[in-house]
Amino acid sequence: MAIEDDVLVVGGGLAGTIAALAAADESARVRLVSYKQSTLRHASGLVDVLGYTPAGDGPLVDPFDALADLPEGHPYERVGNEAVREALSFFDGIAGDAYEGGHTDANALVPTHGGTVKPTARYPGSTAAGLASDDRDTLLVGFETLPDFEAPLAAAHLEAAGAPFVARGVTVQFPGIVRDDAKVTRYAHLLDHDEVVATATGETTARAALAETVRAHLEDETRVGFPAILGDDRADAVRADLADRLGVDVFEVPMGPPSLPGMRLEELLYAALEDAGVRVTTGVPVVDYETDDGGIERIDHVVVDRNGTEIPHRADQYVLATGGLVGKGVRSERERVFEPIFDCHVPHPADRYDWFVDDVFGDQPYARFGLPVDRELRPLDADDDLEFENLRAAGAVLGGYDFAAEKSGSGVSLATGYVAGQRAGTEAGR
Amino acid sequence: MSDAERPTDDHVPGDDEFEPVQVFPEAEEMDLRPGADNCYKCSTCDTNCPVAEVDDEFPGPKFQGPEQWRLKRQDDHDIDDSVMKCSNCMRCDSACPSEVPLSQMHNTARGEYVEENMSKLSREYWRNRMLANYRRLAPLGSMFPRTTNVVMGLSATQWLGEKLLGITGEREFPEFATETFRDWWAARGGAQVENADKRIAYFHGCYANYNTPEVAKALVRVYEHFGYEIMVPDQHCSGTPMFANGMLEDARRSAETNVRELAAAIADGADVVASCSSCSMSLRQEYPELFDFEGTEEVAANTWDAVEYLRVHEDLEGELEGTSVGDEFDDFAYHAPCHARNQGLDGQTVEVLDAIDGITAHDVGDSCSGISGTYGWKEENYETSMKIGAEMFEHMEDADAKAGLTECPTCSMQMEHGTGYEITHTLEVLEAALVGSTTEADAQ
Amino acid sequence: MARDTEVLVLGGGSTGCGIARDLAMRGLEVTLVERGTLTDGTTGRMHGLLHSGGRYAVSDQASATECIQENEILREIAGHCVEETGGLFVQRPEDPDDYFREKLEGCRECGIPARVLSGSEAREVEPYLADDVKRAIEVPDGAVDPFRLCVANAIDAETHGARIETRAEVVDLLRDDDDIYGVEVRHESGPGKHTHATAGTTEKITAEYVVNATGAWAGQIGAMANLEIAVRPSKGVMTIMNVRQVDTVINRCRPKGDADIVVPHETTAILGTTDEEVADPDDYPEEQWEVDAMIDTLSDLVPILAEARTIRSFWGVRPLYEPPGTGTQDPTDITRDFFLLDHAERDGVSGMASIVGGKFTTYRMMAEQISDHVCEKLGVTATCATADEPLPGSENVEILEAGMDDFGLRSPVARRSKQRLGSRARDVLETDEPNPVICQCEGVTRAEIRDGISQSGTDLNAVRIRTRASMGNCQGGFCCQTMANELHPTYDEETIREALDELFQERWKGERHALWGEQLSQAMLNYALHATTMNRDRDPASESSTVDFAAFDDGRGAQ
Repeated sequence: MAIEDDVLVVGGGLAGTIAALAAADESARVRLVSYKQSTLRHASGLVDVLGYTPAGDGPLVDPFDALADLPEGHPYERVGNEAVREALSFFDGIAGDAYEGGHTDANALVPTHGGTVKPTARYPGSTAAGLASDDRDTLLVGFETLPDFEAPLAAAHLEAAGAPFVARGVTVQFPGIVRDDAKVTRYAHLLDHDEVVATATGETTARAALAETVRAHLEDETRVGFPAILGDDRADAVRADLADRLGVDVFEVPMGPPSLPGMRLEELLYAALEDAGVRVTTGVPVVDYETDDGGIERIDHVVVDRNGTEIPHRADQYVLATGGLVGKGVRSERERVFEPIFDCHVPHPADRYDWFVDDVFGDQPYARFGLPVDRELRPLDADDDLEFENLRAAGAVLGGYDFAAEKSGSGVSLATGYVAGQRAGTEAGR
Repeated sequence: MSDAERPTDDHVPGDDEFEPVQVFPEAEEMDLRPGADNCYKCSTCDTNCPVAEVDDEFPGPKFQGPEQWRLKRQDDHDIDDSVMKCSNCMRCDSACPSEVPLSQMHNTARGEYVEENMSKLSREYWRNRMLANYRRLAPLGSMFPRTTNVVMGLSATQWLGEKLLGITGEREFPEFATETFRDWWAARGGAQVENADKRIAYFHGCYANYNTPEVAKALVRVYEHFGYEIMVPDQHCSGTPMFANGMLEDARRSAETNVRELAAAIADGADVVASCSSCSMSLRQEYPELFDFEGTEEVAANTWDAVEYLRVHEDLEGELEGTSVGDEFDDFAYHAPCHARNQGLDGQTVEVLDAIDGITAHDVGDSCSGISGTYGWKEENYETSMKIGAEMFEHMEDADAKAGLTECPTCSMQMEHGTGYEITHTLEVLEAALVGSTTEADAQ
Repeated sequence: MARDTEVLVLGGGSTGCGIARDLAMRGLEVTLVERGTLTDGTTGRMHGLLHSGGRYAVSDQASATECIQENEILREIAGHCVEETGGLFVQRPEDPDDYFREKLEGCRECGIPARVLSGSEAREVEPYLADDVKRAIEVPDGAVDPFRLCVANAIDAETHGARIETRAEVVDLLRDDDDIYGVEVRHESGPGKHTHATAGTTEKITAEYVVNATGAWAGQIGAMANLEIAVRPSKGVMTIMNVRQVDTVINRCRPKGDADIVVPHETTAILGTTDEEVADPDDYPEEQWEVDAMIDTLSDLVPILAEARTIRSFWGVRPLYEPPGTGTQDPTDITRDFFLLDHAERDGVSGMASIVGGKFTTYRMMAEQISDHVCEKLGVTATCATADEPLPGSENVEILEAGMDDFGLRSPVARRSKQRLGSRARDVLETDEPNPVICQCEGVTRAEIRDGISQSGTDLNAVRIRTRASMGNCQGGFCCQTMANELHPTYDEETIREALDELFQERWKGERHALWGEQLSQAMLNYALHATTMNRDRDPASESSTVDFAAFDDGRGAQ
């Protein structure tokens, strides 16, 4: 017999978890099935809503002002301005103190590990003290064994970008790391558990040693930024401890992939799923589906593959949140671009050489690949008819927008996940 | 190439020449470089690795897997020795968003390392071989269980184990049961239900046979409750500890027997069920990745976790509605083993037990227990193993439950070792709910 | 009249660098100028095959004989650039038996060791060969890294006193009546190592003798002095697979045709190629059908290629030439032989010779013959030593490879680094400082990147060809930025930003031809990392308008 629920969400990234939470909020019995881990762990952990218009204007001070002008078919246009605001406040409710930025409609400018700044609507607490739109002088600290972040170069870059403060960078050795290829989780673990480390002056603890190393370089700056490796499970405690020892604010510059801020956000969302009673099945792909008879096709159940055994899962409503090209919710071959589970229509030029333009940062058609949907977020076929009556799509599996250029990825996932989950939950309850 | 080595053979084979059948390559000779094609370098595997998090000597699964394989030429055999620090928890497999066959790459590289780079005379080799072949040692313990249990518990024995073999003296050796499951099964006269339509072949594995026959007995009673005819075919070790130690030849021999016996049971109309999550993992995933015996794919496709099978083929939750168990089982700290997680079964136990009245099972989170089979038994890994387990221990203690619950025998050793909780298997709870307490059932 | 240098070599490909080394070793004063970075023309755009001569054993036995001779020399003098892979000429059921026999006989006539393998023996050597491969001829083909080989020649020339100027484009030939006495070049960023964001300069360089070794571009140089050099550039595609499906060079054993070779190259396999005449070596169409033909045709030989990931494709332009009046129509029929055009003899203009045609495997022999010619012109009697003197990096390679020192690196990284650096490994890799891996796909450490930078300034593409950094699966998505970081603090932020943008764009150029499946996912991930996470596409530092920081959320409102 099938495993039965009211709403089945396929995909466990930002859109999928928000959809499941929104559906559970409507009192539906919800299951979330995800195959592998999601692109949340790649992303910076920032919640961008809209940083630039599709034409490239920006950085936008107020993303909501610009929403009204988005072209038809853009996911924000589909769900409408109000839904974006509702989704953000839904997220704020889930994230609580972990995220900031909800006090204003204005975007914040956050320093990136490349030394540029980027506009974002919500940012984790670990980044709050580091905003580039805050004019306090800044010391950036990099580590010799983490070559992704070259702090002195990033500081020079921030100044070139016009940041309204003096930025300085230093590169130091991370106490307690013995191999040059240690993973970021190792750095975080050392600090989370404040492990005993050996230094030139004897044994001490990781946080004390790090603070000691940095203090020697601190001048008049009132805040110190590190690459985002300051703890995982106990990141707040690590940051507070370092700030206390240094006597200045401490913040993280988002990095990734891999991204600890992204992992922390994932953790937060999965804890919320557990609290909301959402049943979570991970590590298994949805490989097929069956429809029932009737006018417009309805999905009767989907088939989950467990190492070769096929397990049917049935629900009244389905949400597809399997991600885009990176999350593999949209796949491609030499001749075609397709959605692998339900084979929903993915518009794309027939000629593969029209999938890209020659300027790497040009207006890339491939970045917009994804499903077209109606205003209920139900996927549409090539004739603009519904693919299935009871399927909605959310997040990066949607087409018609370039999240990388617009800086709109998380916002679209939140807004569409929220709307898809809420509608699915309501319908299932009827 | 010197002239002497140059090919100079004048022989020109004819067009009708006999072509020998292509034999499947030995596992440690498999070319897995094409598996690196799926990697887009996101490092999600690395952030899921419990070993890399506590020990930076281990460079993580991305390096061990797709990177090391991609850098390899056909004749390169110098696998980096850090592959032996991998605990084979296989969390990287279920993490990878791009379907890189990570654990297969690790298993194969480890096999090659042991074959090409590890001295067959070293203490490490013989210690690993011994740990990997628990099934061969266990019968000795079972022959004289009480004596063995006493001897193994002696501090002198533990000291000797550590000094001579590099087996940590910090752990208590598992106790041997006074009667193995197979002995019990034979004494009871085998199956008590006959049913040509509902038949399962039980893969009990070594631990449920020699150490925790109560788990195996629980499975028998639960399945008979649902009217299944149970077969208990001949079987060897599933191979999990052998993969983890790079002993692929030993694993191959065991797998050959298991595939043959289980395929025969499937031909008799049975599905295969396993009560140990590592055994089912091995049969379902590792066998088809590493071996190519006749029937390997068929066995993999027809093997199930014991609870999952009932959930799909019976109305397990319906049957459990309204049942209850005594006070002894009301509040659990549940740990989902990594190998259950890899099969998408990590949420199953909490969901199923939810149907039984009065039971609360707290999921203690998604961290690894840290023991990973034989890994945590090695002197050099003990500290790492306990560091990995620290998060689980902490969450178990916070749960403030009456007992621990899991489906993996070595996870249960670690849970007990780290917290002092007594550990139960999910099947034992189902047995209590559906059939009654163990004592009653014993009286059957 | 005093000249700036005795010999001026135009072109920094294998021929030019080979000539510069040869002449410098003979004690001549040499200057070499190259428009882009070394190998930018044809040398860096070949399939990396070190010919055994087997390919020409039927059609052009003179070339075949030269190939096997030079093949043996390069194994000795350039061991760290050569991988002795061996090669197979593979016959499928539909390929003609006659040709197979002719090939075998041809090899023997040319002194190329050849042995026939049955289909199953061939599959034992290469497990991914098709099940229906009938038989194969085994020959001593090899794989060669053209970048490393060319750079090693240039380094050795410098060691012998030569001046090597890259990013120095010839803008004019200096001609005085019937004598050519030098060139005018435009240095992109002034003479010496290239530094981005530095103003360009021009320089007149005079010489006793000019060697035009610009290959497919020889006609353009000639035109500057009204000399007609009828090079017939012919393009060919090469498609790079993400991993090595084969460790032996696989040739299709049939008369001729596109898509008939797979060369294992470093961590990859290269599929080749096509042969189409083009009008302009700098501007020709790079077409989809060419890439598709590589995959579709070669998967007949190695079926796994049909599903395998390609990471990029690139095109090279052969500098084909045939004497006026030959009139060959099909470029595949034009000889692969080389021609030395002495413009004094040919056009009555002294002071310059042009070299056209030829192939990579015999670059050294070509260089030797041209150097002989130059010496004759200049009245120098010194003889050639390039066949015996190992290139820098290839001295005592066996001793190094046998050594156990891993320089604190994981063994595959150490192994690859040592293979790339040859006998220079210790000098480069031994360090007390942290030496993290910068390019994880190819296993390139910080020390090796810094060594590359010390040779080539901010030209990260030049660092790339020296180290292979950014040439793996992710095509630089994850390491372009970290490579650029290593330029700091030697160079300033603006310079580094330009260098990074240039490398990133160059990587995209080839990756565009592999945009489906896993590589399209990779491209999207790279794009997300650079545009979303780093905002490099709308970097305020590179935009003309300034940002009003004060208008944005400063986080204080939250408190």
